[in-house]
Amino acid sequence: MFRRSALMLSAATAMALTLPATAAEVPEGTNLAEEQVFRYRLLDQFPTLDPQLNEETAGSHVIRQLFEGLMNQDAQGNLVPGVATGFEASEGNTVYTFTLRDDARWSNGEPVTAQDFVYAWRRAADPATASPYQWYVELTQIENAAEIVAGEMDPSELGVEAVDNKTLRVTLTNPLPYFPAMTTYATLFPAPQATIEEHGDDWTDPANMVSNGAYVLDSLSLNETFTLTKNPEYWDAENVVIDRVEGYVVNDSNQSLTRYEAGEYDMLEPLPAGAYPRLEEERPDEAHSVPRLCSYYYPINFREGDDVPEALRDPNVRRALSLAVDRDVIVDQVLQGGQRPAYNFTHWATAGFELPEMDMASMTQAERDAEAQRLWEEAGSPDLDLRLIYNTSDEHRQIATVVSQMWKQKLGVDTELSNSEWAVYLEKRREGGFDLARSAWCGDYNEASTFLDLMTTPHGSNDGKFSNARYDELMAQSKTAEDPQPLYTEAEQIIADEVAMIPIYHYANTFLLNPEIKGFPMENVENNWYVKDFYRVAEE
Amino acid sequence: MTAFLIRRLLIAIPTILFLIVLSFVLMEVAPGSPFDSERGVPQYVLDNLEAKYGLDRPPWERLGLYVWNIVTDFDFGPTFTYRDRTVNDIIAQGFPVTLTYGFWSGIAAMAVGIPLGIVAALKQNSWIDTLAVGFSVGAQVLPNFVMAPILVLVFTLWLGWLPGGGWGGGQWNYLVLPVIALSTSYMASIARLTRSSMLEVLNAPFIRTARAKGLPMRRVVWRHALKPAMLPVISYLGPTFAFLITGSVLIDVFFSTGGIGQFFVAAALGRDYAIIMGVTILYGVIVVALNLLVDLLYAWIDPKIRYA
Amino acid sequence: MLTRRATRAFISPPSDPTPEVAVKGRSLWADAGARFARNRAAVAGAVVLALLCVFAFLGGLISPWDNETIDWGMLGQVSTVGGPSLETGHWFGVDETGRDLYARTVQGTRISLAVGIIGALVAVGIGTVWGAVAGYVGSRVDNVMMRLVDVMIAVPYMFVLILLMVVFERSVIMLFVGVGLISWLDMARIVRGQTLTLKNREFVEAAIATGVRTPTIIARHIVPNLLGIVVVYATLLVPSMILFESFVSFLGLGVQEPQTSLGALIAQGASQMRNDVPWMLGFPLAIFVILLFALFFVGDGLRDALDPKDR
Repeated sequence: MFRRSALMLSAATAMALTLPATAAEVPEGTNLAEEQVFRYRLLDQFPTLDPQLNEETAGSHVIRQLFEGLMNQDAQGNLVPGVATGFEASEGNTVYTFTLRDDARWSNGEPVTAQDFVYAWRRAADPATASPYQWYVELTQIENAAEIVAGEMDPSELGVEAVDNKTLRVTLTNPLPYFPAMTTYATLFPAPQATIEEHGDDWTDPANMVSNGAYVLDSLSLNETFTLTKNPEYWDAENVVIDRVEGYVVNDSNQSLTRYEAGEYDMLEPLPAGAYPRLEEERPDEAHSVPRLCSYYYPINFREGDDVPEALRDPNVRRALSLAVDRDVIVDQVLQGGQRPAYNFTHWATAGFELPEMDMASMTQAERDAEAQRLWEEAGSPDLDLRLIYNTSDEHRQIATVVSQMWKQKLGVDTELSNSEWAVYLEKRREGGFDLARSAWCGDYNEASTFLDLMTTPHGSNDGKFSNARYDELMAQSKTAEDPQPLYTEAEQIIADEVAMIPIYHYANTFLLNPEIKGFPMENVENNWYVKDFYRVAEE
Repeated sequence: MTAFLIRRLLIAIPTILFLIVLSFVLMEVAPGSPFDSERGVPQYVLDNLEAKYGLDRPPWERLGLYVWNIVTDFDFGPTFTYRDRTVNDIIAQGFPVTLTYGFWSGIAAMAVGIPLGIVAALKQNSWIDTLAVGFSVGAQVLPNFVMAPILVLVFTLWLGWLPGGGWGGGQWNYLVLPVIALSTSYMASIARLTRSSMLEVLNAPFIRTARAKGLPMRRVVWRHALKPAMLPVISYLGPTFAFLITGSVLIDVFFSTGGIGQFFVAAALGRDYAIIMGVTILYGVIVVALNLLVDLLYAWIDPKIRYA
Repeated sequence: MLTRRATRAFISPPSDPTPEVAVKGRSLWADAGARFARNRAAVAGAVVLALLCVFAFLGGLISPWDNETIDWGMLGQVSTVGGPSLETGHWFGVDETGRDLYARTVQGTRISLAVGIIGALVAVGIGTVWGAVAGYVGSRVDNVMMRLVDVMIAVPYMFVLILLMVVFERSVIMLFVGVGLISWLDMARIVRGQTLTLKNREFVEAAIATGVRTPTIIARHIVPNLLGIVVVYATLLVPSMILFESFVSFLGLGVQEPQTSLGALIAQGASQMRNDVPWMLGFPLAIFVILLFALFFVGDGLRDALDPKDR
């Protein structure tokens, strides 16, 4: 979606978006519910509602309701105007000029100006802010961002300036056709400078918080609940139908389902492991499964000198292990929620990405097993003890159990399942204390490089320390290529030939949604939803 | 008495210090950092975060500073997880919640457990006794992580009488299910303890004498047996209240109450040193205070005990 | 937590300085045996306990399945075909990954029993030595040792255990030691009280007079005379340990796959409560409840039998 739309835009070089960007589109004659409220369940408490400090999904969902960035996404994930009415790309996609709408206001009535964005972006990059998402600013390629996040330059040197109150100019170091789409993420949302300077860290308190989105924060009780109410100052407030948003934090997944069934909230995501088939049958109007841009895989440890079994250095051994994993069993019999078996890394639904033809994908499982056994014998049927690490969770435990049994029965491999809680697991994975590690990667944006960059040598999340010179070269070239698809295909082929990882499945997002709630963006593969687009119909 | 009090209060100081050092050391040696995430965080981000929270200083210096801030400003420091909150904020939100559940659970456990134990003792070997003993063993062996979902299933989903979770600002209907789940097993132990202690007292010579003098059973129980029989129960109540308050982890997690237990578990798993130390110290103080309270109560009921 | 709560319910209050249990001479054991045999609930408990031990240690021999092999035909349709059945050989049904629940329950019972027994032994071992030394040596040593107990008793153990499991990673050994470490304090207090009364008895004085060394006196004369109360305490501690392990498993900090424990099985069964697979919760929970009932009755019976006072 992303790159395609971005390319289209850049081709036009100077283009003001003229699409209507109104909130909820309620068809004529809809019988709206009396009480316009949307309630949903959160798995975990979000750590912060400060847009620049946010680093995870639960918080992003709330911040997306409270604040509005330059651009928004529509139900399909296409870019639509937000605070900016449009932008102009010039100098080969290195300078972007955004025009801000006149009627954009903060919830205290102050106008939203270009200066608010400049302040926010400098704040995100400033080492003193210590944002865990500092690297996102670096990723945008804004001029001097890399030097600022490293503390080598003052934040005021950031390549973004307020030409006037309603014009924002951004200068990039390298051409980045998808830069405007990056402004839909919380890190690049505006921030109310006066409020932050007045209240310091307490500015996100419901009593102090000032925001510019369709909603304002009404109350917040950590690990329990929060409420948002409609922001009357929002520029499109008259088209916002839902008056109140309530979030409920429920950790226990079965408890969360019981409470959904008792009608305590309208949306439950994610579903308890293994519950989808029953729910799909019992509640066909409510159970949904939509593609989600994440891939589940087991990276293989390529570190030198670690106590990784020698046999694992043999590509044929790795290939046999990968072949022996029956992905169909995992998606159809363990997960059962519309996930797809994965034989490559990049998620199949990634915009503009064509699945390369993988020979492993076209085989039947019987052929794969036979091939696995042939390769195994060829490699001398090594006596292999593998250490598979995963973090505490029903789903990871089940998949690890099933995979280890497949290896044991087909290849006679013993797998030590090492389950640790989150922080221990992350450290082990980072330090290389594994042969194989349960991993998942979710796209930061809807384009294949968000996946494939991960396997480049210097990438921070390349936990197996896979390194291939040709691969790194391909990914570097793809940044400036007119058509990067052939490069991506070759990169995927390298991952497959070298068996740099064992891809397991491509995610689907399974959730329950009350059919009274309309306007949910089912086709947005990044799962970015805006409550301002929702409305609630009356019970029939 | 005063000397005893002062001695006990003095003991509290090394106790709390011990707790601080213990939790600090445990967190120091625990693998993992509070700033790790699924996505590998670049080194410069980690450096900035550690600088912001002073984690780049040597451990002994941090420990000293931590204790110093508590002593001078009663400041337990910022949390690493909830970026816009301090540990004081977290405790201010969670502690009243946990205390409320603990208090009502304790009351419920006593209000049901003690009468049940007395009745069972008075009617020893009758069907009431058998039932009471059966109930109390059963309630003790049923894990509350099994009981809680069943309660929610019955009262929230099927009957629709009570909310399935949340604190709801402390309204009574939000308290019922968590209090039942939390108090049942304590109820059972109180009943068992009351029963055995009552039986013992009823067999004591002074009760037999009172009975022989022709006093009615009711009067014997109320005037003579109850007080001595309550002694072991009271000494049990101190730790019980302490466990009800510190043991609310499951209730907090399962019913999403926003209480302290949930914060603690999340902090322990997420290496949020600040919250862990704050909560551990808080609970240490509670346990010390409750133990002291029980000793005082004990002295008041049983004049034989002298605290010299 | 569970452990101290439960044991306090049975044992005399810690701050009560008067000894409740006094074990004298050998003849008492025969006496106690007779008293125990008269207690029907206790005998029934002992029989059930013996049967459960047979189940836990030999039950695996007769099963066609082991605790980790997946029955692939069951996977994905557990709720329809995975129920208890004689034909499939899954007498207790299968778990959500198609593994035989009977074999897993047998193995889980074994772990739970081991956790309970070893945990209790650790607690009783440390507590006995600590209390006996403090009580016998007395004066300043006693003072320091018992103040240490006072300090430790204020530690919120639920939290420390969670921290321990996090720090040392989960291992069965750590689980045993962890649950044992949190329960020795009461034992130490009780043993100390007992020791204080034993100390002035003639046989101890005789031993001192003949020049026996202090450690030898503690080991030869004090500890054997504490055996009665130690046995009672240990029996009552075992169910608390097992309960505690179940809670730790619920938090996901228990034993490593493919090993399991009753607590882990119950926690997993409870999480499947809504998926029409009642056997996943039912069988492990039934075994768990029966085991704890038996342990409680045996513990009560032993206490009554070894406690000369009538109740």
